[in-house]
Formats: sequence, C-alpha cells, structure tokens
Amino acid sequence: MFKALSATTRLSRTTLSRALPSFSTSSARLAIEDPFSKKEAPIIDNETVLALPEEIKEKTVHDATISVSTKVDVSPITGVPEEHIKTRRVRIYQQPKNAMQSGTSNIHHWEMEFDTRQRWENPLMGWTSTGDPLSNMKVQFATPDEAIEHCEKNGLIWYLDVPKVQKELKPKNYGLNFSWNRRTRVSTK
Amino acid sequence: MLRQPLSRALALSPSRVAPLGIRKFADQVQAQPDKIEVFIDDKPVYVPPGTTILQAAAQVGVEIPRFCYHERLAVAGNCRMCLVEVEKSPKPAAACAMPVMKGMRVKTDSDLTRKAREGVMEFLLVNHPLDCPICDQGGECDLQDQSMAFGSDKSRFTDIHFSGKRAVEDKDVGPLIKTIMTRCIHCTRCIRFASEVAGVDDFGTTGRGTEMQVGTYVEKMFLSELSGNIIDLCPVGALTSKPYSFAARPWETRRIDSVDVLDPLGSNIVVATRTNEVLRILPRTNEEINEEWLSDKSRFACDGLKRQRLVTPMLADSRGNLTPVEWEDAVVAAARALRDCPPDKLVAVAGELADAESLIALKDLFNRLGSENVCTEQYFPLEGAGTDLRSSYLLNTKIANVEDADFVLLIGTNVRFEAPLLNARIRKAFVHKETDIALIGPQVDLTYDYMHVGDSASVVKDLASGTSSHEVMKRLENAKRPVVILGADQLKTPEGAALLAYTQELALRLQDKLVDKEWKVLNVLQRTASQVAALDLGYRAGAGAQLAAARVVYLLGADAGLVTREALPKDCVVIYQGHHGDAGAAIADVVLPGAAYTEKRATYVNAEGRAQQTWPAVTPPGKAREDWKIIRALSEVVGSRLPYDNIDEVRTRLSEVSPALVAYGEVQDNNYFAQARMLSQSLQKPVSGKLDVQLKKLEDYFMTDSISRASPTMAKCVQAVLKQKQSPY
Repeated sequence: MFKALSATTRLSRTTLSRALPSFSTSSARLAIEDPFSKKEAPIIDNETVLALPEEIKEKTVHDATISVSTKVDVSPITGVPEEHIKTRRVRIYQQPKNAMQSGTSNIHHWEMEFDTRQRWENPLMGWTSTGDPLSNMKVQFATPDEAIEHCEKNGLIWYLDVPKVQKELKPKNYGLNFSWNRRTRVSTK
Repeated sequence: MLRQPLSRALALSPSRVAPLGIRKFADQVQAQPDKIEVFIDDKPVYVPPGTTILQAAAQVGVEIPRFCYHERLAVAGNCRMCLVEVEKSPKPAAACAMPVMKGMRVKTDSDLTRKAREGVMEFLLVNHPLDCPICDQGGECDLQDQSMAFGSDKSRFTDIHFSGKRAVEDKDVGPLIKTIMTRCIHCTRCIRFASEVAGVDDFGTTGRGTEMQVGTYVEKMFLSELSGNIIDLCPVGALTSKPYSFAARPWETRRIDSVDVLDPLGSNIVVATRTNEVLRILPRTNEEINEEWLSDKSRFACDGLKRQRLVTPMLADSRGNLTPVEWEDAVVAAARALRDCPPDKLVAVAGELADAESLIALKDLFNRLGSENVCTEQYFPLEGAGTDLRSSYLLNTKIANVEDADFVLLIGTNVRFEAPLLNARIRKAFVHKETDIALIGPQVDLTYDYMHVGDSASVVKDLASGTSSHEVMKRLENAKRPVVILGADQLKTPEGAALLAYTQELALRLQDKLVDKEWKVLNVLQRTASQVAALDLGYRAGAGAQLAAARVVYLLGADAGLVTREALPKDCVVIYQGHHGDAGAAIADVVLPGAAYTEKRATYVNAEGRAQQTWPAVTPPGKAREDWKIIRALSEVVGSRLPYDNIDEVRTRLSEVSPALVAYGEVQDNNYFAQARMLSQSLQKPVSGKLDVQLKKLEDYFMTDSISRASPTMAKCVQAVLKQKQSPY
C-alpha cells in the first residue's frame, strides 16, 4: 500500500497527470497550483491503488519524457516542399473565446497555424478550393514551448502571439443593483 | 457599500477623521484583504471575501452553467441556471449572486445540482421554439449547448394540440439587430448592456410571468454606437445580426484573428470568412483595448469591403476617363511621372487606412527620389516639439488605465463617436468608480453626465494658467489620477498649436503634483488608424502649401477629401494607390489597386502607440496587390530599388526607424513630457476661437472612411437614425 501511494505522488509530479483542466469559466487564466500545497490528502483513484507495482512502473516509464540534448532539425527528411518551410510563417497562439457564447471549452490549449493563402469558389460545384496543403493544419499543444519546439524541429519560422486576457478578480455584488447612493443602481429591469 | 459612506464622511468633516495610525492600518487592510478558503467540488480555493460562488469556481476551472450572468455586466440572478448545492444549506443557491462564506463547501456536480439544472432547462424549453434549423444562433447557441449538457434526456411536453407555446411579436430596433422575440429566455443581458455599458436606457421588460416581454415598449431604434454587442451577448437566437442573417453557419466559416482599423483604438477582431468573402466581424477579447466589445462601424462596415473596390490598375485616357490596363502599363506610367518630376514638386499624401509597411516603403521611395514631401492628411501642429516627441501625440494614460481615473477632462472631442470603446471605458469609470467628467467643447451626448465648462478655447488657457475660477479647476487640482484628453480635430485650426501647448501645460502641471509618479495625464486622441504610425515614421502632418506647386501627387489611400483637383495645378499627375473607389481615385490619373485591412499582413499602430498586426483573411479582389509590394515594384521601375524583398525585411526596416513599430501587442511608456512642455511654452498665445467637433450626432458616426462609405449597412444605419429622429419617441 505504501508503495502504491508513493508511486502516486511521484506520478502526480509529472506534467501529464496534472494537465490543464478541460474547461474554465472566465477570461481570467486559472492558476494551476501545486498539488502539494493542498491541505487535504490527495484523492487517489481506485485504479492506482489497485495497480500492481509492475504496472505502476510501466506507467511511469510511459509518462516520462525523453530529452535530447542536441537540436534536431528534421525538415530535410520530412519531405515537406521547401516552399512551405521557407516562405511560410507559423503563428503560435491561443484560440480566442467565441464572442457569441459564454462557454470556454476547447480553447485552453495552444495552436499553431500557417498564414492564409488564396481560396476560391470552385466554378463547377461552388465548393471552396485552395492550392494550399497546409490550410487545414492546426496542431494543438498544451504549452507554447511545445509548439515552439515542434516548429524548430521542422525548421518553420514561427512567432508567438500571446493574448491579453489576464484580468484581476473583482468580486461581483448583487446588492450594487439596489445601492441608494451609487451609480450602479439600476433604473429598469 | 459600507466603505463608500464611510469615506465620504471622512472627506466631509476633518474633525471626524480617524487618527493617523488607525487610518494607516485601515489602508493596509483594504490593500490586502484576508482571503478566505472555500471548497468547490472538494478543491480548495482562496478568494477575497464577497466573491460569488461562480467566480470562486472559475478560479479552479469549474464552469458553472449560466444564461443571465455575464462577467462585464451587473449580477441579475434571474435565469437560475447556476443553481448549485451548498453543504448544510437546505436549498440550492444561485452561484452568480451568492457570496462565498468561510469554509463553504459547494458541490457543482451533485445529484441535487444536476436535478436543479434539469428543472431550469425544462422550464426554459417549455416556451422556447424548436426552430434551431432556421435559427442563426444554431451552432453557437448557449441554450442548445446547455440543454445538451445539462438538460433532461426525455420530454414531458405533451402539448400535442399545439395550443401552448408562448409567442411574442418581434420588435424593430433598427437595421443592425434582428429580433425574434419568441426565442427570448428573459436573461436581461441586453437590457443590462444597454443601460450599463451603452448608456442608452431604452430596453426594459414589460408584463409579468408568461406575458413578460423584453423590448423598448414603444417602437424605437436602439440608438447606440455599441448596439451590435447585444447580438453577442444574447445567449439564444432572439437577437441576431441583420446583415448576417441566414448567411452562414459557424462551422462553415474560417476565423482569422485580426485588428480593426476603422477607429484609432485598433480593437481586436475575428474575421469570419467563407469562399474568399468576409461574412462578419466579431470582437476578440483584449483587456487592454476593447475588453470584449466592438463598435458598430468596426463590426458592420465589413460589407463595404465587397463594394466600390478597385480591382484592376487604371489609367486616364485622352478624354480623362479611367480605363482598365495591365499592371505593367500602370506601373510604367506612374514610374515615368515620378522620375520626370523635379524632387521638390513631388508630394506624397498618406490616408487614414494606410499601414506602416506601405508608409515606410513610400517614404523610402520618395527620399530616394530626393523628396521630403511625405505628409499625412490629418494635421498636427509642427511648431514647438511638433511630432518629434512621441508623448505629444499619443494617449499616454492608455486605454485600460482610463478606468482608474478619478477625474476626466475632455477638450474638444466627442469621444463617443471618435473612439466608442474609450468612451465605454470612461463610462465604466463613471458608473463603477464614481469618476466625474468635464467637457470643453460643444455640448454632445456622451451617454453619461458631465460638467460642461464651455466651448471657447480660452477656457483651456485659463485652466492651464491656473487662473480659472471654475469648479473644474478645483476638481482637477484635487484629483489623484486626473486624465486630460485633447481631440486631434482641434489641432487643425490656426489656434491648434496654442491649444496643444495649453493642454500640455495643464496636464504637466497636474502631473508634477501627483503622488503616483507613474500616472500620465496628457492624452491626444488621434482620429485615424494610420496617423500614429505615420508620425512615428517621420511623416509631416498635414499637406498644404506643397500641393499648390506639385507636379506629381502620390495618394496612398488619401480619401478624406483634403486633396482636390482645384487645389492642384492643372498639369499635375495624381497617382492613387488604395482599395476603394472614393474621393482619391476620382481625381486620379493612375490608379494602383491595393489591399484592404482584411487582405494583408500589415502593421497598424493605435492611438496609445501599440503596434498590432492584421492577418490576411481573404485575398485581394481581382488584380489588387498588397500595398508595400506595389511600392516596391514601382521603385524598381523608377530605378531606385528599395532594399527589401519580403515582409520580414520591411519590418526590419521598420524596426530601424522605431523598435516600437514591431513590438506587437506591447505599448511603451512615453517620456520627455517636460521637454515637450518647455518647447511649447513660447506657443502659449492668446486664443479666442470656439472648439468644435466633426462628429456630433449618431448619424455622423457611421460613414467616416472609404470602407464605411461604401457599406450599404452603414448607409441604412444613417437613414434609420434620421428616421428615428422624426419619431415622437
């Protein structure tokens, strides 16, 4: 049992086990805190508790990342035409929230996309055509560093576009609607 | 609520002021309120007291469903979708309005919570029509999504005789917003937006229960320059975009992030396109500029991008009519005119939508030809510090900081129409921070109360010298974070230089006395998106005397009507480069078709001095090309080749002139205020004129540049506003 527990704590140190939560509500970026600062005992799922030591070991091996000390450039062997490597720029960005909706699912990751090239309406069917094989390539990453690493590996020219969404938390107050001496008092409903 | 009367009482009577020690302590407590611990789904979170459950949950990434709650609007608490279970509480609590208490344990995914949500969804859907297939909100509808996630899996709706669903008559609120009021779920977001942010208190509810309706009571247009935002706010399809109605589904469009250029603020936008056509423009959150709002011109003028476009190069034939030609002919004709002209008779005029890349290319080309006559349309006084110091032509306070101001003085500007989102910030400060505003200039409707100090320029002089006995003087002196905003329109007048000098004097005098040394008081609000970049690059502001003797005039999107055939000599050759057939192309001999802001990767610098870039969403129509490339091609034919072949090299050149022009998204603090003040001291001459603004009423706002002038939607808006003026309501 002790073995299982210590393995779990080790697991939780890897980045994968505390990946970003799948959603959040506000434009305020949520701070992912260190699980060790928690006051309560961590909740351990049954699978981990019941796992055999070998299984845990195997999982640790799978979760671990392999770091390579030298810089790798695979662009000469990927077979991507030089035109699409040399002349294109990759924008690494975070998808903006859709202004039409309040939900923020599926935007808490970083994406890379290539610059837009010409599209035209196909005269026969009316479909949209393009001669750009990379126009639909949007690759998702958990962090901008991963995206940068990927671009450098492929010899792409990238740049980072960091959105300005940081906002301090201002407590909201229902009572302000009825406050007698402030301008927040509502006139209509 | 308690703090306000207390601080007022303290301010009123010095005898009741608490001893220094206590006040200091109170300050400290206010600065760092103790955070309390609450548990959301057993996850601990520390939040300041008074935070609502919904906000606390957002801190740990737990999303509570909602319809009526919106971050930037007041809490309404009427949709009940955010009901959550709170341990030891007999009933579920509305998370959006319930403040957290110490040690509170909230369960956002318990059986009780789920049952509550299911019940709310069922009630909402009882009267909501099932017209999703023909609803424009389909695919980006909060009600659709939340009924999938939190609604019941079966229906208890048994009205097989079709007697039951509520039907509501549609309202007509103008040419921008389509209303299908049967779909309304009464979240009141539009009402709150109208009264809090837009400051037009026209919306409200009438009736009770099933009979309740959201509307204007009498038929009335929503007379606001921010009206399009209620389309975004509406969680269902009750308010949709009229120009975009039935045009596309959200999953069919491609969204390209970009920057708006139709006002000087450079709001962040998302351009939705399909088949090489811009279908609609939506705001993109940028806390430092536009929050998540967008003004109507920026949002709806995009149909102007398809009309009146210059799609092919043109040359004037022997009878003076413009006839389409190939690029080669046009470029050769333009190059010949430029080469054969003596350098002192060459004039370049940059218009309001020109990007930094084409501005630098044009300036480099002209300088290589030996001419220094590169100017902008918008004037700025060149006496004193002129445009040498960046601080004298920018919004130094920065847009986001205006919220923290405690007194705002507007001089000769109608911010509401010149920069709608800056006005929304001022209004936010007015409502939430009790900021007071004073205006010198014609009395206009700014959507909030202000002190009108008069409309003569001498008022500014009196304030600057400190001799004014007006109440505003006292308020300015006592303000901890005052803001002075001068409209760039005032600088066109002969007294412009003096007015700028007085404004600098006033702002700097206030700034020197401030405790907060970082706070900047002086602001000059430019009118156009290109002006700051042009001044940064060393363009001379305003074309005047050179035009009378010009032999060749190169207009880079100059459409404001400053350059006319009458002002030019008879044999003068006019080369026009731009994207719309407007005032500039009408007088041109050679037309070179360029790209609009949605069609090129280009740099624009906003009124604060923040460089931002647009991204190509569609390709330029016909034979039109990116602007800097046209000038680069021309330079080769003229015989003085510009040393850049791709956009990165152009940007390297930009950074040589000013590194701020390529620091995308960042804004630098400005300096040399004292030097600018010293240089302008000699210009403080007596002034006697009256301040006037160009955009006074809503109908003036919609059509101000070549894109919005070509937009049928904007034309409809002007007509609708004028029609509304006839109405008795």
